[in-house]
Amino acid sequence: MAGQHPTRRQVLEALSAAAIAATAQGFCRWNWAFAQGPPRHTHIAPSAPHRAATYHPVFFTPPQYSAVVALAELILPATAQHRPAVHRVSNPANAGATDAGVAEFIDFMVSQDASLQPRFRTGLQWMDESAGTKDFLTLSSPEQTALLQRIAYKKNFQPNEKPGQDFFVLMRKYTVMGFYTSRIGLESIDYPGLRFYAESPSVPQDAFLHSLGV
Amino acid sequence: MDTSKTYDVIVIGTGAGGGMAIHTLTAAGLNVCALNAGRELDPAKDFRDHKQPYDVRFRGFDSPARRAQTEGYYMDNEYISPDVWEHEIEYSSAPGQHWYWPRCNSVGGKTNFWGRSSARMGDIDFRAASLDGFDVDWPISYAEIAPFYSRVEKQIGVASTRQNRASNPDGDYLPAFNYRYIDLLLQAGANKVGVPYLPDRTAQLTQSVGDHPACHYCGNCTNGCDVGAFFSTPYFLLPDARKTGRFELRTNALAREVLVDTDGNAKGVAYIDRTTRQEVQVYAKAVVVAASCVSTAHILLNSKSRHHPTGLANSSGQLGKNLCDHMYGDAGHGYLPQLLGRPSFPDNVSAATIAWTPRWQNLNSPHEEKFIRGYSMYPGGGCGEFPSGWEDIEGFGAEYKAEIKRRYPTPVGFTVQAPSQRSDKNFVDIHPDKKDIYGIPQARIHFEWDANTLAMWEHSKITTKRLLLAAGAEYQGHGEPESPGFSLHETGTCRMGNDRHKFVTNRYGQTHDVPNLFLCDASVLLNCTDKTTTLTILALTLRTSEYIVQQFKGGRFSTDGAKPA
Repeated sequence: MAGQHPTRRQVLEALSAAAIAATAQGFCRWNWAFAQGPPRHTHIAPSAPHRAATYHPVFFTPPQYSAVVALAELILPATAQHRPAVHRVSNPANAGATDAGVAEFIDFMVSQDASLQPRFRTGLQWMDESAGTKDFLTLSSPEQTALLQRIAYKKNFQPNEKPGQDFFVLMRKYTVMGFYTSRIGLESIDYPGLRFYAESPSVPQDAFLHSLGV
Repeated sequence: MDTSKTYDVIVIGTGAGGGMAIHTLTAAGLNVCALNAGRELDPAKDFRDHKQPYDVRFRGFDSPARRAQTEGYYMDNEYISPDVWEHEIEYSSAPGQHWYWPRCNSVGGKTNFWGRSSARMGDIDFRAASLDGFDVDWPISYAEIAPFYSRVEKQIGVASTRQNRASNPDGDYLPAFNYRYIDLLLQAGANKVGVPYLPDRTAQLTQSVGDHPACHYCGNCTNGCDVGAFFSTPYFLLPDARKTGRFELRTNALAREVLVDTDGNAKGVAYIDRTTRQEVQVYAKAVVVAASCVSTAHILLNSKSRHHPTGLANSSGQLGKNLCDHMYGDAGHGYLPQLLGRPSFPDNVSAATIAWTPRWQNLNSPHEEKFIRGYSMYPGGGCGEFPSGWEDIEGFGAEYKAEIKRRYPTPVGFTVQAPSQRSDKNFVDIHPDKKDIYGIPQARIHFEWDANTLAMWEHSKITTKRLLLAAGAEYQGHGEPESPGFSLHETGTCRMGNDRHKFVTNRYGQTHDVPNLFLCDASVLLNCTDKTTTLTILALTLRTSEYIVQQFKGGRFSTDGAKPA
């Protein structure tokens, strides 16, 4: 073997560090994207809808789940929100965590990994306890953002808020994992793999290439 | 199956070595029974077959149980069927050591998923001991093996360019992959620091070869190719063997030991049928063991008899010894600001190597560096299946999301491929107590990196940092070496050599002790080099197989049991 994409390795290493044996679900293929006949893989195939009309969390309590939805959307928000949702997601670059079903992904992943469960539980509890007289969900949107800023930016770090800072790192990691492995998330970065190319892709001979001086 | 039949040849294993042996022997008219420890694969069911991350349950991150089982090994993941790689048969590492040993016992073995880097070795490798005084030369020269390299390259298709470097002999190549932006930038940086940055020798079809279609550059090669656009034995070698009518494949047949007759020559193989857990014996006039380096030593060490009390073909005492491996590791990574915010580009079209930096150390004189011999590196990066930078970028929100997108085309890094050198500390033996679930005494691997390899690792980190900075990259750091075993490039447990007191096989892969026993995998290689092993396994096996055919034509194995020449 030779070579590998460094990014996926990094993710897997980060995951492996925390991995312990949990309930094995075995292999399940629940969504065959390329079931249709030839010509094959000429474009990114459509997948089944990423979420049911009503989602019932399997690990989180309903209030915890709502907090996860809110946190994920704060981390990777839909942009250009003034436009109707149907138009917004027509440009995947504007899609947010909710559009991608990120909270459902996190609920599933946490339900499958016993080592994650206390970390999410206590993290969400920390968010509530740090929300003053309210809990996190009942904060106004600017208040939620302000609380997150306290634990997301080094310049705001308080020594006694380490548990919150750790939870932010965890929550952000799983939000990123869920978003950029969803269909719309991959479209948002225009993932160019898993496509059909008639020849070995080459860079265009254009002004940009010239500007690189190579 | 006919249990009383005596085949011409039993071949253990269907990977690069086994596949080539089967192909060559059946084509020459010999009857071959192949034993394969796992099952046959169906690309449509067992390979990734273009599944997107959102088409699998854990989005490609795998279940916690599977991550623990595979240690995050990147080829063995939830995109392919869970039994494609071996997880049932246990092995041991020496106390305090950890050898992670990905084994593909499915038909075709690791050729189903290999990284496809296919450089020829040269006399700088075969004659290394003469150059620097360490260890011993190979018993073959480049001139002897070059015609076999050429035939193999034409058979399997290797994409590269003519590069005119004595340390990297050129072969017969298909057009090379086109360079990506990351290659052009890294190449410019490499030129500035005196590191060669060249198209790799990649066994991937940039043009169709025979009935095999050209690559479509989807980039998921290491999870199996749905159309067979790179070499693997199930696509390239086994179909021809089947057409001869002289090839019988027994699957789920886990070889336990090679059986010998009253003269101590090979007469067959005892294997466990994994579906019934019963032992079965099969007989032949000659036996080829091509189970992969460590497994071949394991089988022979477990083949004890009156004639061979310490294992079969072990009168030299060298069976299982001299284990070498490639150290792999992230020698450095960063990102290229020149590409920030650029549209995405299909950088990941080969899932592995488009370019490499072949060995440039110790070429002018063998002791220029603080280590002997040399290493190579493989670049990677660009627009992958998962964005980079998300851990480094501070904060959250719309700006965070925009920055991830901006960084998406920019990550780059180098994987080092540093060969270990022969050491008495590195070897395979049989665990004195532990058995696997079929009752077979387990292989135990003793391995630690030698000082020479660690010196290469340090050198590679310094070089990579200089190279990345010269390319204009933001340098972000390096990783740690992977576990020994990770590279899949282990060599040397049954080394070939002319002296029967020092080597297990002769220059044809024929064991010195047992004339009708041949070894056709990396176990016969003298050492790792800065190159990968598969192409050399194929070339040596083609040569060995034709030698076996000559032996049959000469009547040496024409009756029951072998009659030594």
